[in-house]
Amino acid sequence: MKSAMRSEISKKLVVVNQLGIHARPAAVIVKAMQKYDAHVYLIYNGHRRNAKSVLQVLSLGAPKDAEITAVASGPDAESAIEELSKIFEGGFGEE
Amino acid sequence: MEKSKLAPYLGDKPNKISSLPVAEIFKDPICNELNLKLIAGFQGTNRKIYTADINRPGLALTGYLEYFANDRIQVMGNTEINYLRKLTSSNVEARLVSIFSFEVPAFLLSRGLEPPQVFLDVCNRHGVPVIQSTLSTDQVISRVILYLAEKFSPKATIHGTAVDCFGVGVLLVGKSGVGKSETALELVERGHRLVGDDVIVLKKAIEEAIIMEPNPEFEHYMHIRGIGMVDVFAVYGAGHIRRKKELGLIVELVETKRRGAIDNLDELLKGWPNENLLDVKIPFLRIPVGPGRNTAVIVESAALKCRLKELGIDIDKVFAEKSIGRMLNNS
Repeated sequence: MKSAMRSEISKKLVVVNQLGIHARPAAVIVKAMQKYDAHVYLIYNGHRRNAKSVLQVLSLGAPKDAEITAVASGPDAESAIEELSKIFEGGFGEE
Repeated sequence: MEKSKLAPYLGDKPNKISSLPVAEIFKDPICNELNLKLIAGFQGTNRKIYTADINRPGLALTGYLEYFANDRIQVMGNTEINYLRKLTSSNVEARLVSIFSFEVPAFLLSRGLEPPQVFLDVCNRHGVPVIQSTLSTDQVISRVILYLAEKFSPKATIHGTAVDCFGVGVLLVGKSGVGKSETALELVERGHRLVGDDVIVLKKAIEEAIIMEPNPEFEHYMHIRGIGMVDVFAVYGAGHIRRKKELGLIVELVETKRRGAIDNLDELLKGWPNENLLDVKIPFLRIPVGPGRNTAVIVESAALKCRLKELGIDIDKVFAEKSIGRMLNNS
């Protein structure tokens, strides 16, 4: 149990697209994260939300330039965070 | 070409007939609907119809035989019959003989009209069936065209279960044992109507629509694992079955081993996905199934969503626009 706790990793991510995290970007995030076994959370403005649920991710209400902390724990946490940060850098495929 | 997601479930390849012997018409329900009676040309009932269209032979009877659509059923109403009555017998015979230099499948007379005796004699001699209907000309024409269009339409069979759910024709597909029949049985319990189980006949009707029908020999029988055959008509009654229903939604049931099922989220990312079936685009959804999941409720919800979409309300689109609107207001 303790070793699992220690495997928790986090990374700061920035929202770069014009419209921020609306429904489509939320779906992009969830679609990518649901294939990992790791628990992945996004923290913004003190709110902690599950990255595998569209409505949870949406409820962050994160606009352009928002700084989000991604936290992942579990066996494949590292690769989950890696993919997540690529998705954020790419602006969810939007301008 | 992208492989169809439905390919594994399609039975025999889509096919269609190219011709229909006139005799077939008398074996089908349309014979009673139109009150059909064969009054001449009895030996010619093996003549074949090649298209779903009909022809009014007025001009051909006047002797103009260029562009004569001879391969269609020739429908005669008051106009044609009254014209024939004005001609001398020898003239009627001469005109018919030149018409019969072409292959004509049959004459169809509306309103119970009686043609001149010479007309029947010539048709008897040449073996061209003359059929009488008591209905009006427009009724005869529209019903015959619909009947023939269905006969000549492409057909296919698919491994699946069809249910009319809130007025939406839902076709459940998926691997054997995934729970298609169980899901359908629960839908029937919840008040919906079974079209057919296991073998569904698909017919492309005129206009871009597919009609689902049960396997004619085993209409409304379901095979439920563990208990065997269930006759839905006998057990649940007439209110729980349908003989045909237009296909509105295809649902593929997919077994998932993972706890958190993979969802491609296509509805939000690309809009509601479609699949091609007999060259018609049909909404297609993939639903994960597993122990403890209530698939019937999900199918109901999908059917309602589909119905709303038909009424012009695309929930996913509305939601996506709402979420963008919120972001615009925040920034």
